[in-house]
Amino acid sequence: MSIEPRIGPHGRDDDLTRALRSVYAAPSDDAYWTSLAGRIMARIGGEAAEQWWLPLARFARIGLVAAAVALVAARIALSRDAARQTAIAYDGVIETPASAPLQVATDATPGSVRDATLRYVISP
Amino acid sequence: MDAALSLHTALRVPEPSTEWSARTRERDLIVAAQHGDRDAFAELVTLHQRRAYAVARAITATHEDAEDAVQEGFLHAYRALDRFRPEQAFGAWLHRIVANAALDIGRRRRVRDADALSDSVALPFRDPAEQDELRRRLTAGLEELSQRQRSVIVLHDVEGFTHGEIGNMLGIPEGTARSDLHHARAALRRTLGDLWSQR
Repeated sequence: MSIEPRIGPHGRDDDLTRALRSVYAAPSDDAYWTSLAGRIMARIGGEAAEQWWLPLARFARIGLVAAAVALVAARIALSRDAARQTAIAYDGVIETPASAPLQVATDATPGSVRDATLRYVISP
Repeated sequence: MDAALSLHTALRVPEPSTEWSARTRERDLIVAAQHGDRDAFAELVTLHQRRAYAVARAITATHEDAEDAVQEGFLHAYRALDRFRPEQAFGAWLHRIVANAALDIGRRRRVRDADALSDSVALPFRDPAEQDELRRRLTAGLEELSQRQRSVIVLHDVEGFTHGEIGNMLGIPEGTARSDLHHARAALRRTLGDLWSQR
């Protein structure tokens, strides 16, 4: 048997086109398309929801850097303060204040009284 | 009075055609979507999803892959919407994106079961015996074609895209699309020819 395809306009083979259309037919049910559109938008919405924090992430990064800087600054300040306190305490220990009262030692033993009496007798 | 009427008639703005109105509406939706209006994008999805599916279905082997490609395509389009220029044709831009998504899926699933095509489609022919035979022959014929040839013949003969549009979608020269179409038709005619000549 000879092959005689029915050729349509633009070189289309009508039978072939019809067969292909049946294979590649899109779903005709409107509910399917409503559902597909819903799924597409759900994916888009889901992605947007997952990434809602992205605009805030930049601010969060800045905040973290600021917190780290503040922490370092606080640590330096504390360390300097501690060094200053140590220095003051050290100075307080090793330096005698000029205004500190002198304690005069007095010998109140009986021998000393006798010496005093003797010095009085022999004195001119 | 007549002069006034004729002047009014002469100056009257013609009724906008449906196509013009649809294009304007589409442009408004695109601009709104570009400004973050998700409902506007949902309307664009509703307007374009059937054609986008047809493009994806021509390229992928199964309905499921086509559906995935459509979803991926719209997702990519949504992400890239800021880069879309209003003077472009939205449909052509979207079809290119969907075609790329479909080609990616095809590459990822190249080793898919060869029976997937026949399992995924329904052929509405009257005679069950003829339907089975036609399905078997057509499936065999389509599987003998390269993916590109299959895409070209479906996009052209089934969906009515021009060679230029197909070349743009698939990233091939127009002449290549023309040549692929010729070879694909010849191969499928060889496969199905004797079946039809028996009718």
